[in-house]
Amino acid sequence: MRRIKSSIVDGVGFDLLLVGIPLVFLILFSGLPLLYNVLMSFQEVDLFSLGDVFRPFVGLDNYRALLAQPEFWPIMWNTVIFVTCSIGGQFLLGFALAVFFNTGFRGSTFIRGLFLVSWVMPGLVVGATWNWILAGDFGVLNYILDSLGLISKNIFWRSDIDYSLWAVVITNIWLGTAFNMILLSVGLAGIPKDLYEAASLDGATAFQQFWTITVPMMRSTTGAVICLGLIFTLQQFDLFAAITSGGPANSSNVAQYWAWELSFRQYDFARGAAISTIMIAFVMIASVFYVRSTRHEVRG
Amino acid sequence: MRYLTSISSAVLLSVGAVAQAEDVTITVWSLDKENQPAMNLAREFSEMDNGITVDYRLIQFDDVVTESMRAFATGQAPDIIAVDNPEHALFAARGAFLDLTDRVAESEIINADAYFPGPLNSVTWNDRLYGVPKATNTIALYYNADAFEKAGLDADSPPETWAELVETARTLNNPEESVYGIAFSAKASEEGTFQFLPWAQMSGGGYDKINTDGAVEALNLWKTLLDEGLASPDTLTRGQWDSTGTFNSGNAAMAISGPWELNRMVEEAKFNWRVALLPVPEEGAQRASAMGDFNWAIFANTDHPDEAFQAIEYFASQDHRLFPEFGQLPARSDIELPPTGVAPKDAALQVFLEQLQYAQARGPHPEWPKISKSIQDAIQLALTGQMTAEDALNRAQTSIDAVLAD
Amino acid sequence: MTRNMNRLYLALAIIFALVYLFPLYWMYVTAIKSGSEIFSYPPTFVPTDPQWGVFAHVWEIRDMGRFIWNSLVIATGTMVLVATLGTGCAYVLARYRNGWINLALFLVLMLQVLPASLMVTPLFVGFSALGLLDYPRFAVILAVTAKAMPFFVILVRATFMAVPAELEEAALVDGNSRIGAFWSVVLPLARNGVLVSAILIFMQAFGEFVYSKSIIQDVSLQPASVGLNAFMGPNTVEWNNIMAYASIYVTPILAAFVLLQQRIVAGLTSGALK
Repeated sequence: MRRIKSSIVDGVGFDLLLVGIPLVFLILFSGLPLLYNVLMSFQEVDLFSLGDVFRPFVGLDNYRALLAQPEFWPIMWNTVIFVTCSIGGQFLLGFALAVFFNTGFRGSTFIRGLFLVSWVMPGLVVGATWNWILAGDFGVLNYILDSLGLISKNIFWRSDIDYSLWAVVITNIWLGTAFNMILLSVGLAGIPKDLYEAASLDGATAFQQFWTITVPMMRSTTGAVICLGLIFTLQQFDLFAAITSGGPANSSNVAQYWAWELSFRQYDFARGAAISTIMIAFVMIASVFYVRSTRHEVRG
Repeated sequence: MRYLTSISSAVLLSVGAVAQAEDVTITVWSLDKENQPAMNLAREFSEMDNGITVDYRLIQFDDVVTESMRAFATGQAPDIIAVDNPEHALFAARGAFLDLTDRVAESEIINADAYFPGPLNSVTWNDRLYGVPKATNTIALYYNADAFEKAGLDADSPPETWAELVETARTLNNPEESVYGIAFSAKASEEGTFQFLPWAQMSGGGYDKINTDGAVEALNLWKTLLDEGLASPDTLTRGQWDSTGTFNSGNAAMAISGPWELNRMVEEAKFNWRVALLPVPEEGAQRASAMGDFNWAIFANTDHPDEAFQAIEYFASQDHRLFPEFGQLPARSDIELPPTGVAPKDAALQVFLEQLQYAQARGPHPEWPKISKSIQDAIQLALTGQMTAEDALNRAQTSIDAVLAD
Repeated sequence: MTRNMNRLYLALAIIFALVYLFPLYWMYVTAIKSGSEIFSYPPTFVPTDPQWGVFAHVWEIRDMGRFIWNSLVIATGTMVLVATLGTGCAYVLARYRNGWINLALFLVLMLQVLPASLMVTPLFVGFSALGLLDYPRFAVILAVTAKAMPFFVILVRATFMAVPAELEEAALVDGNSRIGAFWSVVLPLARNGVLVSAILIFMQAFGEFVYSKSIIQDVSLQPASVGLNAFMGPNTVEWNNIMAYASIYVTPILAAFVLLQQRIVAGLTSGALK
């Protein structure tokens, strides 16, 4: 007993305790629900057996049924577009802004901080505001584009199958740019200044410095930012609910919204869970790639 | 004798209520807000000196089934719920709702025969009653009489056939002034099904045969309205309340919607508006319309079935206030609806009452959400041009057949 | 950098900020527009007849005081719980680097891959079995904590990485226990990062919606996000009132953020994700 106590005060027990309690907590309140989802995807579930754990086992039937649905591949493709374009847009804009603010002009820190307000706004409020900005007949975005001569006819962002997905992508890029910027700013701040000084003594242009110093030095930060971005983007649900509801005709539907729709609109919990499981598998593969790519990096 | 029984049971009921002291609390879930009936009636009932307190929870239209199912599956269900009529069978067929047949038979206040057949049918499953209709509604054609006159149309003869409707919409459409010919909802939700089904029904179709020639024609007509810009592209994503909002603000000259709009329209619309019956395929064709609105039901696992039924009896006893105070139509024929003194509203009421005679229930079928989803998909696929109306409806028919065969 | 360059950059930065923050401006402007002005096209960028009374009106009719209070309770509870559980975890994960740590980090990330909307049903079932639904705000705090902790751990871990290991070793050599060294040497050095991350968690929990909506059934315990959703409904045209509600809801956190932003940005940039 005493040994355990002293280990907790002054030994490995201390570490185990610190890391163990939160992990147990996470496993209880995130892990079990996740497993419940995976379990459900192999069972026959209906509204009335939601509270049970043991339900008829149906093997891969739910997955087969899902793959047989004509909307399966289009929705998966939408998910890929949504994720890559959101991450790409957020990252490029965030990177550009981070580089810009990193020049350190007077007032740069203050204004950079202002950008972050997008990130602390509740998703519901962001969705409602953008829904209103993107409105077809009265929307201010259409008016601005029209005034700039970019469009000749109002775009029905939420109702046109060619634009609906982009409406959500644009909103999501807006939402995530600030966060990307701040994380990338941190990375930029960590690059030793003397590297640049040495390069400019060697006569390298700003452009050359960017490609030969900034980009390589930012590689690990970039990996982390994109990895987090993937998780946040796959979790993005509020914006779909607020702006397009996945419509029209599934043109802006993505995996995470479809899973919810199947569960809570058609009460097909098992298929909803099957999509969740596919998403989990997808993120695991992506994470493995990420971990592998960091392994080849130079340590330190 | 029956009279005696009901008196004695009424006495027993009230004795029971007193004997159980003050601490009976029942929960009521409904989508009604401050200015709608359920919230007010629940409060009044709670404030009455009957030893019953009511906990009222407002839930969103979209969440009614999910929230209550989840609660029911885990034993957290409310005592009373207001459920949309096509979804009633989903619960009733699985024994989630209390069988009210005997209670209704003995009730002094609720008389099943007084209810319109459509709403009553929606609370019935295997000849037993699993609820009490809360209100009823249907859809008809609102039109802006001033816009008619301005466009040289006769405001006293609104369009009566489908062809006339399209023609009128073309005449009234005025993009320069941001006025659409017509507003309706083809949203991918129950609202889209609700709006489309009458069109199929009046041309001889129904939810179980959705790919009839008439239904294909109807869907093509909707497509014409959208393709020619006679209705806003947002019709695809906007619900009825939002669509009709554009009518009220003068941005659409006609609108298809129900009596729930009346109070708001009286307040907001700054023009003369009227209501007409839904146009039919051709002159003399059969009429049809949608039957909407909610039912009251008691969950089977309630601890207080008597008190809950007492509450529903109170709600039903106040049905005469539905129209004058809240602009909703009671689901029964034994209630006189005196004029409210607001001329357009009273005129509209007469049209809606006539339209209500042609209203058809959706279902009842315990798998209604799946049937409805097939119809919504067909509407959206056809209107976005990804499939022809015919192919889309054939596809819907195939999946509906699969559901019905189960 | 020359003075002119400085001015040019500042001007550019202000333009970027104006474009970026336009949605926020539009929220405030829509709130004070009159009913008919909202739907006028072309839209007016400065309201012709500002309705300042809308804020008091919405506050009153929507009973916002109670909603905001509940949001504060949930956000505070979440922040405290996340900080308590997460700080130690982040410290340990920063202190070592081996396979187990990688596995733990991987787990922490993977566990939050599903959106709240898909986690809520199992959580609801579980909470109901544990009897936690009788304390719905506490149940929400637990759920949100599980959702927010991984992010907190990642940020704070980076802060601990920036604390030189030699300082802790020196403290241990001086006779401190592990707890003592952690408490009196490492934690004070990482204080800024921990505080800032906790504030960010607070702000996120303040806007939490999906869990609260499903778990808290009693209206008097619901947070402002659920109140806003009930107000919006599936169909609405009351955009001015909704935007007024949204403005009242987010202005306190935005104000706090702008006031604290120097410290927040400094805290984040001090160590995160190195």
